[in-house]
Amino acid sequence: MGKKIIIDPITRIEGHLRIEVEVENGRVKDAWSSGQMFRGIEMMLQGRDPRDAHHFVQRSCGVCTYIHALSSVRAVESACNITIPENARLIRNLLHGAQYQHDHIVHFYHLHALDWVDIVSALSADPVKTAKLSENTSGRPGTSEYFKEVKTKLSTFVNSGQLGPFNNAYWGHPAYHLPPEANLMASAHYLEAIKLQAKAARMHAIFGGKNPHPQSLVVGGVTSAGELTPDRIDEFTNIWQETRAFVEDVYIPDLLAVASFYKDWGAIGGNNTTYLCYGDFPGAGVDDDLLYPAGVLEGDLTPKAVDLAQITEDVTRAWYDPGEAKHPSVGETRPIKGEVDYNTDDKYSWMKAPRYRGKSAEVGPLARNLVAYTSGQKDVKNLVDDVLGKLGVGMEALFSTLGRTAARGIETVVVGAAMEGWVEDLKSNIASGDKKTYQPWTMPDKGEGYGLNDVPRGALGHWINIDGGKIKNYQYVVPSTWNLGPSDGKNQKGPVENSLIGTPIADPKQPLEVLRTVHSYDPCIACAVHVIDPHTNETYKVKVI
Amino acid sequence: MHAASGRYCRKPLPGKGMTENTKTPDNITVLGVGNILYKDDGVGIRVVQHLEAAYDVSDNVIIVDGGVLGINLLGVISTAGKLLVVDTVLNHGRPGDIHCLAHHQIPDRILAKNSLHQVDMIEALTLCKALDHVPETTIIGIEPRDLNTLDDRLTPEIADRFDDLVQRVVREIHTLGGTCRLKAQNSVPPRQDHSL
Repeated sequence: MGKKIIIDPITRIEGHLRIEVEVENGRVKDAWSSGQMFRGIEMMLQGRDPRDAHHFVQRSCGVCTYIHALSSVRAVESACNITIPENARLIRNLLHGAQYQHDHIVHFYHLHALDWVDIVSALSADPVKTAKLSENTSGRPGTSEYFKEVKTKLSTFVNSGQLGPFNNAYWGHPAYHLPPEANLMASAHYLEAIKLQAKAARMHAIFGGKNPHPQSLVVGGVTSAGELTPDRIDEFTNIWQETRAFVEDVYIPDLLAVASFYKDWGAIGGNNTTYLCYGDFPGAGVDDDLLYPAGVLEGDLTPKAVDLAQITEDVTRAWYDPGEAKHPSVGETRPIKGEVDYNTDDKYSWMKAPRYRGKSAEVGPLARNLVAYTSGQKDVKNLVDDVLGKLGVGMEALFSTLGRTAARGIETVVVGAAMEGWVEDLKSNIASGDKKTYQPWTMPDKGEGYGLNDVPRGALGHWINIDGGKIKNYQYVVPSTWNLGPSDGKNQKGPVENSLIGTPIADPKQPLEVLRTVHSYDPCIACAVHVIDPHTNETYKVKVI
Repeated sequence: MHAASGRYCRKPLPGKGMTENTKTPDNITVLGVGNILYKDDGVGIRVVQHLEAAYDVSDNVIIVDGGVLGINLLGVISTAGKLLVVDTVLNHGRPGDIHCLAHHQIPDRILAKNSLHQVDMIEALTLCKALDHVPETTIIGIEPRDLNTLDDRLTPEIADRFDDLVQRVVREIHTLGGTCRLKAQNSVPPRQDHSL
């Protein structure tokens, strides 16, 4: 240690992601996605004990704590040839599954819904009609008194001027299409989801030792042995059931109700050709029999096996010393010295550009569900077909902003349902006297390995090289880098950049449509959007959370 | 695996009214926030880690390492009876100055802070209004020297004041109605050097 990296300015308040788009004739002509914050955690890890790596990596992102820790322990286990006990696999699956339930609900209601739902329009809704609408569409209808109460609460919010999270939206924008009653119903569920997310987070506390930063993960398994009492498992099951009911009765019906007004978005926000998925939720071992299978789609609908050797990171357009595109196992993190210059014609991001077989690849719910669907995963196939059927759209609508948002809902159902099996298996193991959650091991002098996961935001890989029992090299390639990374040496754009091109923009001062697509990728960072009008040379700088 | 298809059709849920109130337990939640990878930004986390390791607290005290989870801390905040946030605070003072902000002073002070997780904290507190429960909040903060350098150690100025900060938090826990006492001597782990 002792190495200090000072990158100035770190514009934390401005947000870590900057999206710039050029608009011509009412459509996005070009787009640039820039990571505005340097993450040098990898350099900080060199020379440390591999057993400590997960404590650091889980702090590298404010939102994705557990999953970085999981990839990290998997990487060390792979480097040290450790096979974790069955109960550890089940508990890790349950913790990861709980993360999916929590994150996707928060994303849909609290990070994405207001791109589609106009809160101010909800204030003119008729509570009686809203109750009728909810009876016809929602698995949990509300009474007119209930919706009246919600309306009053919303008015208080709006009139107080303390809008908080409702502050940054573009109320009254022409791209909002929901009738007032649908806006009120969705707003009511926005508030219900706040309560639910508070509960869902507790699932992690049960097997995680504590939440928000689970401490139960260790290289070799988990340390929640003390939690394996029937009471604790029942407590987990109760929250899981309540969460699952919310997903199936409220989230999915809301998704379908909202989507039915935005079918045009089934043709906007796609534009990618490669979809990559490492797969996750092992049925046995580490990477066998995955609930979401691994695979890559490269321009057609025939999934191929993922060849990890095809992964490289290109730094041509990122603020790193020039060098060849490298595989993460031998990757380097060498930031250029001095001030960085944001120049969309040259270097413009702190994110490297990950590539699969030289191409940019979308990761995340859409990639996962496309790979699962084309691999014949039955649960996914049935749900996808069902959703497409209910919306009356074809499979091509999946390759879009709408498809990405729907895929997230679909996998919340699939993973939520699978959790039941893991709980049952865990219970029967314990009942039969198998309480083993940790496999003792010894640190080798040398080792190389990787940990792959498919986490709520997409494919996550950690690569580690151990020498003398210490970390010699550590690299990770995160979902947001795959999706939000910049262009590369061949001028091939990243997935979000591709997706934004062609997006209709009604009013460059209020780039709501840009937000829809960017948010559909679930970037885990605050986002500052810049829109340039080349004719007037006017730049609209809009800060969005 | 268990079939998921068709599970999301309409289906009334017995006994789960939409308007049920979230019960608010009468607890004191001590919430450390910040990022331990950025020097003094991690001081709030160091304090709660130290409390957990070296102190016994009464049953009504919950200690939470909040990291930089921002709005995802809503669950923690909305179920807090009284909320005690431990963090860095920029208050035009010298590094190492310890500030205590009572609830009515909070919004303006926090907004002055150049840190992302604080903006999110405000959002989370605002959202609590939608849950009809805003916990009585106190912030104990220390004026930082360096929040931006990627390094998991506190600066010397802040490390020197660490014990004072811990004592201030312990006192506040007692004021709020909890107890927080040093563990018996033989069970105290060796004093940490404020790195992992």
